[in-house]
Amino acid sequence: MIGMAREQRLAEIFMEVADSLTEDFDVLDLLQRLSTRCVELLDVSAAGILLADALGELQVVAASDEHTRLLELFALQHHQGPCVDCYRSGAARTNIDLTSPGATANWPRFATRARETGYVATHAIPLRLRDRNIGALNLFQKSPHQLGESDIALAKALAGVATITILQQRTLEQSHIERTQLQTALNSRILVEQVKGILSERWQTSPDEAFFAFRSYARSNHLRLADFATSIIAGDFDTAAIPVPGS
Amino acid sequence: MADVLRSLRHGDGSVLAVACAQALGAAGVAVSVLVGEDQGVEPLWRSPGVAAEFEELQFTLGVGPGPDAARTGTAVMAPDLDTVRPDRWPTLLTEARKLGVVGVCCFPLGLGAIRLGVLTVLASAPGATMPEQQLADALTLAAALTGLLLEGNGSRPVGSGTVMGPPMELHRAVVHQATGMVSVQLDVSLSEALLRLRAFAYSRDLPLGDVAGDVVARRLRFNDDKDGPHSPGSRKG
Repeated sequence: MIGMAREQRLAEIFMEVADSLTEDFDVLDLLQRLSTRCVELLDVSAAGILLADALGELQVVAASDEHTRLLELFALQHHQGPCVDCYRSGAARTNIDLTSPGATANWPRFATRARETGYVATHAIPLRLRDRNIGALNLFQKSPHQLGESDIALAKALAGVATITILQQRTLEQSHIERTQLQTALNSRILVEQVKGILSERWQTSPDEAFFAFRSYARSNHLRLADFATSIIAGDFDTAAIPVPGS
Repeated sequence: MADVLRSLRHGDGSVLAVACAQALGAAGVAVSVLVGEDQGVEPLWRSPGVAAEFEELQFTLGVGPGPDAARTGTAVMAPDLDTVRPDRWPTLLTEARKLGVVGVCCFPLGLGAIRLGVLTVLASAPGATMPEQQLADALTLAAALTGLLLEGNGSRPVGSGTVMGPPMELHRAVVHQATGMVSVQLDVSLSEALLRLRAFAYSRDLPLGDVAGDVVARRLRFNDDKDGPHSPGSRKG
Protein backbone atom coordinates (compact mmCIF):
# COMPACT_ATOMS: atom_id res chain seq x y z
CA MET A 1 0.00 0.00 0.00
CA ILE A 2 2.77 2.38 0.99
CA GLY A 3 4.73 1.16 -2.03
CA MET A 4 1.82 1.95 -4.34
CA ALA A 5 1.43 5.44 -2.97
CA ARG A 6 5.10 6.07 -3.45
CA GLU A 7 5.16 4.73 -6.98
CA GLN A 8 2.31 7.00 -7.82
CA ARG A 9 4.12 9.93 -6.24
CA LEU A 10 7.23 9.10 -8.24
CA ALA A 11 5.21 8.96 -11.44
CA GLU A 12 3.82 12.39 -10.60
CA ILE A 13 7.31 13.74 -10.10
CA PHE A 14 8.41 12.43 -13.49
CA MET A 15 5.37 14.09 -15.01
CA GLU A 16 6.14 17.32 -13.22
CA VAL A 17 9.69 17.30 -14.54
CA ALA A 18 8.66 16.34 -18.07
CA ASP A 19 6.09 19.14 -18.08
CA SER A 20 8.69 21.58 -16.89
CA LEU A 21 11.29 20.82 -19.53
CA THR A 22 9.97 23.45 -21.87
CA GLU A 23 12.33 25.51 -23.95
CA ASP A 24 12.72 28.25 -21.37
CA PHE A 25 12.40 26.31 -18.15
CA ASP A 26 14.01 27.40 -14.91
CA VAL A 27 16.71 24.93 -13.96
CA LEU A 28 17.23 26.34 -10.46
CA ASP A 29 13.58 26.24 -9.57
CA LEU A 30 13.14 22.74 -10.93
CA LEU A 31 16.16 21.43 -9.02
CA GLN A 32 14.88 23.06 -5.88
CA ARG A 33 11.49 21.39 -6.35
CA LEU A 34 13.24 18.11 -6.96
CA SER A 35 15.17 18.49 -3.70
CA THR A 36 11.95 18.97 -1.75
CA ARG A 37 10.45 15.94 -3.51
CA CYS A 38 13.44 13.86 -2.38
CA VAL A 39 12.69 14.86 1.19
CA GLU A 40 9.02 13.91 0.89
CA LEU A 41 9.50 10.70 -0.98
CA LEU A 42 12.47 9.30 0.89
CA ASP A 43 11.30 10.57 4.26
CA VAL A 44 14.59 12.34 4.97
CA SER A 45 15.10 15.72 6.63
CA ALA A 46 17.00 17.61 3.96
CA ALA A 47 18.33 17.16 0.45
CA GLY A 48 20.75 19.09 -1.69
CA ILE A 49 22.14 18.85 -5.20
CA LEU A 50 25.85 19.55 -5.64
CA LEU A 51 27.69 20.03 -8.92
CA ALA A 52 31.40 20.00 -9.61
CA ASP A 53 32.72 23.31 -10.92
CA ALA A 54 35.46 23.79 -13.49
CA LEU A 55 38.07 23.05 -10.85
CA GLY A 56 36.37 19.82 -9.77
CA GLU A 57 35.11 21.29 -6.51
CA LEU A 58 31.55 20.60 -5.43
CA GLN A 59 29.17 23.53 -5.10
CA VAL A 60 25.57 23.40 -3.99
CA VAL A 61 23.12 24.33 -6.73
CA ALA A 62 19.81 23.59 -5.01
CA ALA A 63 18.57 22.54 -1.60
CA SER A 64 15.28 21.43 -0.07
CA ASP A 65 15.39 24.39 2.25
CA GLU A 66 17.44 27.53 2.27
CA HIS A 67 18.55 27.56 5.86
CA THR A 68 22.00 28.98 5.91
CA ARG A 69 23.19 26.23 8.24
CA LEU A 70 22.25 23.61 5.70
CA LEU A 71 23.88 25.56 2.85
CA GLU A 72 27.03 25.83 4.93
CA LEU A 73 27.04 22.10 5.46
CA PHE A 74 27.04 21.53 1.72
CA ALA A 75 29.72 24.18 1.34
CA LEU A 76 32.00 22.31 3.73
CA GLN A 77 32.24 19.57 1.14
CA HIS A 78 34.77 21.19 -1.17
CA HIS A 79 37.63 18.92 -0.51
CA GLN A 80 36.23 16.39 1.92
CA GLY A 81 32.95 14.80 2.89
CA PRO A 82 30.73 11.98 1.71
CA CYS A 83 29.77 13.86 -1.46
CA VAL A 84 33.40 14.33 -2.42
CA ASP A 85 34.04 10.59 -1.95
CA CYS A 86 30.94 9.82 -3.96
CA TYR A 87 31.83 12.27 -6.74
CA ARG A 88 35.38 10.96 -7.02
CA SER A 89 34.49 7.26 -6.97
CA GLY A 90 31.15 7.44 -8.74
CA ALA A 91 29.79 5.06 -6.09
CA ALA A 92 26.86 5.84 -3.78
CA ARG A 93 27.68 6.22 -0.10
CA THR A 94 24.56 5.38 1.86
CA ASN A 95 23.42 5.05 5.46
CA ILE A 96 26.46 6.79 6.88
CA ASP A 97 26.10 7.01 10.64
CA LEU A 98 27.21 10.54 11.53
CA THR A 99 27.44 9.61 15.20
CA SER A 100 30.01 6.89 14.55
CA PRO A 101 33.63 8.08 14.70
CA GLY A 102 34.64 5.12 12.52
CA ALA A 103 32.19 5.90 9.73
CA THR A 104 33.17 9.56 9.67
CA ALA A 105 36.92 9.20 10.26
CA ASN A 106 37.78 10.72 6.87
CA TRP A 107 35.88 13.94 7.44
CA PRO A 108 35.49 14.64 11.14
CA ARG A 109 34.86 18.38 10.66
CA PHE A 110 31.96 17.76 8.35
CA ALA A 111 30.50 15.12 10.69
CA THR A 112 30.73 17.44 13.68
CA ARG A 113 28.99 20.27 11.87
CA ALA A 114 26.29 17.93 10.56
CA ARG A 115 25.61 16.61 14.07
CA GLU A 116 25.50 20.16 15.45
CA THR A 117 22.82 20.90 12.87
CA GLY A 118 20.85 17.93 14.17
CA TYR A 119 21.60 15.29 11.56
CA VAL A 120 22.45 11.73 12.52
CA ALA A 121 22.72 10.05 9.13
CA THR A 122 23.65 11.07 5.59
CA HIS A 123 23.69 9.61 2.09
CA ALA A 124 25.49 10.66 -1.07
CA ILE A 125 24.29 9.50 -4.49
CA PRO A 126 26.37 10.30 -7.58
CA LEU A 127 25.03 12.35 -10.47
CA ARG A 128 26.41 10.57 -13.49
CA LEU A 129 26.43 11.46 -17.12
CA ARG A 130 27.48 8.48 -19.19
CA ASP A 131 30.94 7.70 -17.82
CA ARG A 132 31.48 11.04 -16.14
CA ASN A 133 30.56 12.09 -12.61
CA ILE A 134 29.15 15.59 -12.50
CA GLY A 135 28.07 15.93 -8.86
CA ALA A 136 26.08 14.34 -6.07
CA LEU A 137 22.69 14.24 -4.41
CA ASN A 138 23.15 14.63 -0.67
CA LEU A 139 20.51 13.52 1.84
CA PHE A 140 20.39 14.15 5.56
CA GLN A 141 18.30 12.53 8.29
CA LYS A 142 17.46 13.71 11.76
CA SER A 143 16.11 10.28 12.73
CA PRO A 144 18.33 7.21 12.48
CA HIS A 145 16.13 4.91 10.33
CA GLN A 146 18.01 3.09 7.57
CA LEU A 147 17.19 3.64 3.92
CA GLY A 148 16.44 0.28 2.32
CA GLU A 149 17.40 -0.96 -1.13
CA SER A 150 14.24 0.34 -2.73
CA ASP A 151 14.81 3.75 -1.16
CA ILE A 152 18.33 3.85 -2.56
CA ALA A 153 17.09 2.81 -6.00
CA LEU A 154 14.57 5.63 -5.80
CA ALA A 155 17.24 8.10 -4.73
CA LYS A 156 19.31 7.04 -7.74
CA ALA A 157 16.34 7.57 -10.04
CA LEU A 158 15.87 11.06 -8.61
CA ALA A 159 19.58 11.77 -9.08
CA GLY A 160 19.14 10.75 -12.71
CA VAL A 161 16.23 13.13 -13.10
CA ALA A 162 18.36 15.92 -11.64
CA THR A 163 21.12 15.18 -14.15
CA ILE A 164 18.71 15.31 -17.06
CA THR A 165 17.26 18.55 -15.77
CA ILE A 166 20.64 20.26 -15.55
CA LEU A 167 21.69 19.20 -19.01
CA GLN A 168 18.44 20.30 -20.62
CA GLN A 169 19.16 23.94 -19.99
CA ARG A 170 19.04 26.10 -23.01
CA THR A 171 22.35 27.68 -23.91
CA LEU A 172 22.83 30.67 -26.14
CA GLU A 173 24.09 28.52 -28.94
CA GLN A 174 22.42 25.16 -29.46
CA SER A 175 25.61 23.16 -29.15
CA HIS A 176 25.25 20.66 -26.35
CA ILE A 177 28.14 21.75 -24.25
CA GLU A 178 27.48 20.07 -20.96
CA ARG A 179 30.32 21.57 -19.01
CA THR A 180 29.26 25.12 -19.72
CA GLN A 181 25.73 24.22 -18.63
CA LEU A 182 27.02 23.07 -15.26
CA GLN A 183 28.93 26.33 -14.98
CA THR A 184 25.85 28.37 -15.81
CA ALA A 185 23.76 26.54 -13.22
CA LEU A 186 26.39 27.17 -10.55
CA ASN A 187 26.71 30.82 -11.43
CA SER A 188 22.93 31.23 -11.31
CA ARG A 189 23.02 29.85 -7.81
CA ILE A 190 25.52 32.54 -6.74
CA LEU A 191 23.28 35.16 -8.32
CA VAL A 192 20.37 33.95 -6.20
CA GLU A 193 22.46 34.15 -3.02
CA GLN A 194 23.42 37.72 -3.89
CA VAL A 195 19.79 38.72 -4.43
CA LYS A 196 18.81 37.05 -1.15
CA GLY A 197 21.27 39.38 0.56
CA ILE A 198 19.94 42.45 -1.24
CA LEU A 199 16.31 41.68 -0.43
CA SER A 200 16.92 40.64 3.16
CA GLU A 201 18.71 43.94 3.76
CA ARG A 202 15.98 45.99 2.08
CA TRP A 203 13.27 44.21 4.00
CA GLN A 204 15.23 43.53 7.19
CA THR A 205 14.30 39.85 7.06
CA SER A 206 16.40 36.70 7.14
CA PRO A 207 17.86 35.50 3.81
CA ASP A 208 15.56 32.44 4.00
CA GLU A 209 12.44 34.61 4.27
CA ALA A 210 13.71 36.87 1.50
CA PHE A 211 14.26 33.86 -0.74
CA PHE A 212 10.78 32.53 -0.05
CA ALA A 213 9.14 35.83 -1.03
CA PHE A 214 11.42 36.16 -4.06
CA ARG A 215 10.63 32.65 -5.27
CA SER A 216 6.90 32.99 -4.67
CA TYR A 217 6.81 36.15 -6.76
CA ALA A 218 8.91 34.55 -9.51
CA ARG A 219 6.70 31.47 -9.64
CA SER A 220 3.41 33.32 -9.72
CA ASN A 221 4.72 35.62 -12.45
CA HIS A 222 6.46 32.89 -14.45
CA LEU A 223 9.88 34.43 -14.12
CA ARG A 224 13.04 32.36 -14.10
CA LEU A 225 14.84 32.78 -10.78
CA ALA A 226 18.16 33.72 -12.36
CA ASP A 227 16.55 36.20 -14.79
CA PHE A 228 14.48 37.73 -12.02
CA ALA A 229 17.55 38.02 -9.79
CA THR A 230 19.47 39.68 -12.62
CA SER A 231 16.82 42.34 -13.17
CA ILE A 232 16.54 43.07 -9.45
CA ILE A 233 20.32 43.45 -9.15
CA ALA A 234 20.44 45.66 -12.25
CA GLY A 235 17.76 47.88 -10.68
CA ASP A 236 15.36 47.15 -13.54
CA PHE A 237 12.68 45.83 -11.25
CA ASP A 238 11.00 47.70 -8.40
CA THR A 239 11.09 45.23 -5.53
CA ALA A 240 8.31 47.15 -3.78
CA ALA A 241 6.04 45.05 -6.00
CA ILE A 242 7.02 41.90 -4.10
CA PRO A 243 4.96 41.26 -0.97
CA VAL A 244 7.34 41.70 1.97
CA PRO A 245 7.58 38.62 4.17
CA GLY A 246 5.85 38.88 7.51
CA SER A 247 3.85 42.02 6.69
CA MET B 1 48.19 23.82 -18.45
CA ALA B 2 49.15 23.58 -14.78
CA ASP B 3 52.38 25.50 -15.48
CA VAL B 4 50.43 28.20 -17.24
CA LEU B 5 48.01 28.51 -14.34
CA ARG B 6 50.87 28.79 -11.87
CA SER B 7 52.51 31.61 -13.84
CA LEU B 8 49.29 33.61 -14.27
CA ARG B 9 49.89 35.77 -11.24
CA HIS B 10 53.31 37.06 -12.18
CA GLY B 11 53.67 36.66 -15.91
CA ASP B 12 53.80 39.21 -18.66
CA GLY B 13 50.46 39.57 -20.46
CA SER B 14 51.31 38.78 -24.05
CA VAL B 15 53.70 35.97 -23.06
CA LEU B 16 50.93 34.46 -20.94
CA ALA B 17 48.43 34.75 -23.74
CA VAL B 18 50.76 32.86 -26.07
CA ALA B 19 51.41 30.24 -23.38
CA CYS B 20 47.67 29.84 -22.77
CA ALA B 21 46.98 29.49 -26.47
CA GLN B 22 49.65 26.79 -26.71
CA ALA B 23 48.43 24.94 -23.63
CA LEU B 24 44.87 25.02 -24.95
CA GLY B 25 45.88 24.10 -28.47
CA ALA B 26 44.06 27.20 -29.66
CA ALA B 27 44.84 29.63 -32.48
CA GLY B 28 44.75 32.49 -30.05
CA VAL B 29 43.56 33.64 -26.65
CA ALA B 30 42.39 37.03 -25.42
CA VAL B 31 41.21 38.31 -22.08
CA SER B 32 39.23 41.53 -21.77
CA VAL B 33 37.92 43.10 -18.60
CA LEU B 34 34.88 45.20 -17.86
CA VAL B 35 35.78 48.43 -16.11
CA GLY B 36 33.97 51.25 -14.37
CA GLU B 37 30.32 52.05 -13.84
CA ASP B 38 29.41 51.67 -17.51
CA GLN B 39 31.23 48.34 -17.72
CA GLY B 40 33.30 49.42 -20.69
CA VAL B 41 35.51 46.74 -22.19
CA GLU B 42 39.28 46.99 -21.99
CA PRO B 43 41.91 44.53 -23.14
CA LEU B 44 43.87 42.83 -20.40
CA TRP B 45 46.03 40.61 -22.54
CA ARG B 46 45.89 39.02 -25.98
CA SER B 47 48.07 36.72 -27.97
CA PRO B 48 49.41 38.78 -30.86
CA GLY B 49 48.04 38.52 -34.39
CA VAL B 50 44.61 37.20 -35.15
CA ALA B 51 43.36 37.04 -31.53
CA ALA B 52 44.28 40.67 -30.88
CA GLU B 53 42.64 41.77 -34.12
CA PHE B 54 39.50 39.73 -33.54
CA GLU B 55 39.12 41.03 -29.98
CA GLU B 56 39.54 44.58 -31.21
CA LEU B 57 36.97 43.95 -33.91
CA GLN B 58 34.24 42.51 -31.73
CA PHE B 59 34.54 45.10 -29.00
CA THR B 60 34.70 47.94 -31.50
CA LEU B 61 31.56 46.68 -33.20
CA GLY B 62 30.04 45.87 -29.81
CA VAL B 63 28.69 42.59 -31.16
CA GLY B 64 30.00 39.06 -31.17
CA PRO B 65 30.40 36.12 -28.83
CA GLY B 66 32.60 38.16 -26.46
CA PRO B 67 30.13 41.01 -25.89
CA ASP B 68 27.31 38.42 -25.68
CA ALA B 69 29.17 36.42 -23.03
CA ALA B 70 30.01 39.61 -21.10
CA ARG B 71 26.40 40.79 -21.20
CA THR B 72 24.67 37.51 -20.36
CA GLY B 73 27.23 35.86 -18.10
CA THR B 74 26.86 32.68 -20.18
CA ALA B 75 29.48 30.93 -22.30
CA VAL B 76 28.94 31.55 -26.02
CA MET B 77 30.15 28.74 -28.21
CA ALA B 78 30.72 29.21 -31.94
CA PRO B 79 33.37 26.55 -32.60
CA ASP B 80 32.60 26.65 -36.34
CA LEU B 81 31.78 30.11 -37.72
CA ASP B 82 30.33 28.54 -40.88
CA THR B 83 27.45 27.12 -38.85
CA VAL B 84 26.59 30.41 -37.15
CA ARG B 85 23.34 32.00 -38.30
CA PRO B 86 24.43 34.74 -40.74
CA ASP B 87 22.22 37.36 -39.09
CA ARG B 88 23.61 36.70 -35.63
CA TRP B 89 26.63 39.01 -35.87
CA PRO B 90 26.49 40.04 -39.54
CA THR B 91 29.44 42.43 -39.93
CA LEU B 92 31.59 40.60 -37.44
CA LEU B 93 31.26 37.27 -39.24
CA THR B 94 32.42 38.73 -42.53
CA GLU B 95 35.36 40.55 -40.99
CA ALA B 96 36.32 37.60 -38.78
CA ARG B 97 36.60 35.33 -41.80
CA LYS B 98 38.87 37.86 -43.46
CA LEU B 99 41.12 37.66 -40.41
CA GLY B 100 41.18 33.89 -40.73
CA VAL B 101 39.07 33.12 -37.67
CA VAL B 102 37.39 29.72 -38.10
CA GLY B 103 35.73 29.29 -34.73
CA VAL B 104 35.53 31.08 -31.42
CA CYS B 105 34.32 30.33 -27.89
CA CYS B 106 33.89 32.96 -25.21
CA PHE B 107 33.69 32.38 -21.48
CA PRO B 108 32.40 34.93 -19.00
CA LEU B 109 34.59 35.80 -16.02
CA GLY B 110 32.59 36.65 -12.92
CA LEU B 111 30.80 35.63 -9.78
CA GLY B 112 27.00 35.63 -9.90
CA ALA B 113 25.91 39.09 -11.02
CA ILE B 114 29.46 40.40 -10.71
CA ARG B 115 30.79 40.54 -14.26
CA LEU B 116 34.51 40.93 -14.59
CA GLY B 117 35.37 40.19 -18.19
CA VAL B 118 35.58 37.62 -20.95
CA LEU B 119 38.02 34.93 -22.02
CA THR B 120 38.03 34.43 -25.79
CA VAL B 121 39.51 31.27 -27.30
CA LEU B 122 40.00 31.04 -31.05
CA ALA B 123 39.72 27.56 -32.52
CA SER B 124 42.68 26.24 -34.50
CA ALA B 125 40.30 24.27 -36.71
CA PRO B 126 36.51 24.43 -37.06
CA GLY B 127 34.57 21.72 -35.24
CA ALA B 128 30.99 20.91 -34.31
CA THR B 129 31.95 21.30 -30.66
CA MET B 130 35.01 22.46 -28.83
CA PRO B 131 37.27 19.47 -28.08
CA GLU B 132 36.45 18.06 -24.64
CA GLN B 133 39.89 18.58 -23.11
CA GLN B 134 40.22 22.07 -24.55
CA LEU B 135 36.85 22.99 -23.10
CA ALA B 136 37.74 21.62 -19.67
CA ASP B 137 41.04 23.54 -19.76
CA ALA B 138 39.34 26.73 -20.94
CA LEU B 139 36.85 26.56 -18.08
CA THR B 140 39.68 25.98 -15.61
CA LEU B 141 41.53 28.95 -17.05
CA ALA B 142 38.37 31.07 -16.81
CA ALA B 143 37.97 30.10 -13.14
CA ALA B 144 41.61 30.94 -12.43
CA LEU B 145 41.31 34.29 -14.21
CA THR B 146 38.16 35.09 -12.25
CA GLY B 147 40.06 34.49 -9.01
CA LEU B 148 42.91 36.63 -10.24
CA LEU B 149 40.67 39.50 -11.34
CA LEU B 150 38.86 39.50 -8.01
CA GLU B 151 42.21 39.72 -6.25
CA GLY B 152 43.56 42.36 -8.56
CA ASN B 153 40.54 44.50 -7.87
CA GLY B 154 42.66 46.80 -5.72
CA SER B 155 42.39 44.47 -2.75
CA ARG B 156 44.97 42.16 -1.27
CA PRO B 157 44.82 38.41 -1.63
CA VAL B 158 42.39 36.77 0.74
CA GLY B 159 43.40 33.91 2.96
CA SER B 160 45.07 30.99 1.29
CA GLY B 161 43.51 31.55 -2.11
CA THR B 162 45.60 30.13 -4.90
CA VAL B 163 45.71 31.08 -8.50
CA MET B 164 43.79 27.90 -9.29
CA GLY B 165 40.54 29.74 -8.80
CA PRO B 166 38.58 31.95 -6.49
CA PRO B 167 39.54 31.22 -2.89
CA MET B 168 37.28 28.59 -1.40
CA GLU B 169 35.72 31.18 0.86
CA LEU B 170 34.24 32.84 -2.20
CA HIS B 171 32.08 29.77 -2.78
CA ARG B 172 30.14 30.07 0.41
CA ALA B 173 26.51 31.13 0.34
CA VAL B 174 26.99 33.55 3.26
CA VAL B 175 29.65 35.44 1.33
CA HIS B 176 27.27 36.08 -1.57
CA GLN B 177 24.41 36.94 0.79
CA ALA B 178 26.63 39.35 2.72
CA THR B 179 27.80 40.89 -0.58
CA GLY B 180 24.17 41.62 -1.45
CA MET B 181 23.48 43.06 2.01
CA VAL B 182 26.55 45.29 2.03
CA SER B 183 25.72 46.56 -1.47
CA VAL B 184 22.41 47.86 -0.05
CA GLN B 185 24.00 49.19 3.15
CA LEU B 186 26.55 51.22 1.20
CA ASP B 187 24.50 51.74 -1.96
CA VAL B 188 27.34 50.38 -4.09
CA SER B 189 27.70 47.70 -6.76
CA LEU B 190 28.05 44.05 -5.79
CA SER B 191 31.66 43.99 -6.87
CA GLU B 192 32.49 46.97 -4.68
CA ALA B 193 30.55 45.43 -1.80
CA LEU B 194 32.59 42.23 -2.11
CA LEU B 195 35.76 44.30 -2.22
CA ARG B 196 34.78 46.14 0.98
CA LEU B 197 34.02 42.85 2.71
CA ARG B 198 37.36 41.40 1.68
CA ALA B 199 39.29 44.52 2.61
CA PHE B 200 37.68 44.49 6.05
CA ALA B 201 38.45 40.81 6.55
CA TYR B 202 42.02 41.35 5.40
CA SER B 203 42.61 44.37 7.62
CA ARG B 204 41.38 42.50 10.70
CA ASP B 205 43.04 39.26 9.67
CA LEU B 206 39.70 37.45 9.82
CA PRO B 207 38.41 34.76 7.45
CA LEU B 208 36.07 36.27 4.87
CA GLY B 209 33.43 33.66 5.74
CA ASP B 210 33.38 34.79 9.38
CA VAL B 211 32.98 38.44 8.44
CA ALA B 212 30.21 37.51 5.99
CA GLY B 213 28.53 35.39 8.67
CA ASP B 214 28.54 38.39 11.02
CA VAL B 215 26.97 40.58 8.35
CA VAL B 216 24.22 38.05 7.62
CA ALA B 217 23.56 37.57 11.36
CA ARG B 218 23.42 41.40 11.65
CA ARG B 219 26.25 41.54 14.10
CA LEU B 220 28.16 43.74 11.67
CA ARG B 221 26.97 46.57 9.45
CA PHE B 222 28.82 48.56 6.83
CA ASN B 223 27.90 52.23 6.94
CA ASP B 224 29.49 54.84 4.78
CA ASP B 225 30.55 57.03 7.67
CA LYS B 226 34.26 56.85 6.92
CA ASP B 227 34.85 54.97 10.14
CA GLY B 228 34.22 51.69 8.46
CA PRO B 229 31.96 48.93 9.61
CA HIS B 230 30.83 48.50 13.15
CA SER B 231 28.66 46.31 15.29
CA PRO B 232 25.11 47.54 15.89
CA GLY B 233 24.65 48.47 19.51
CA SER B 234 28.28 49.28 20.14
CA ARG B 235 27.86 52.69 18.58
CA LYS B 236 25.18 54.76 16.91
CA GLY B 237 24.58 53.63 13.33
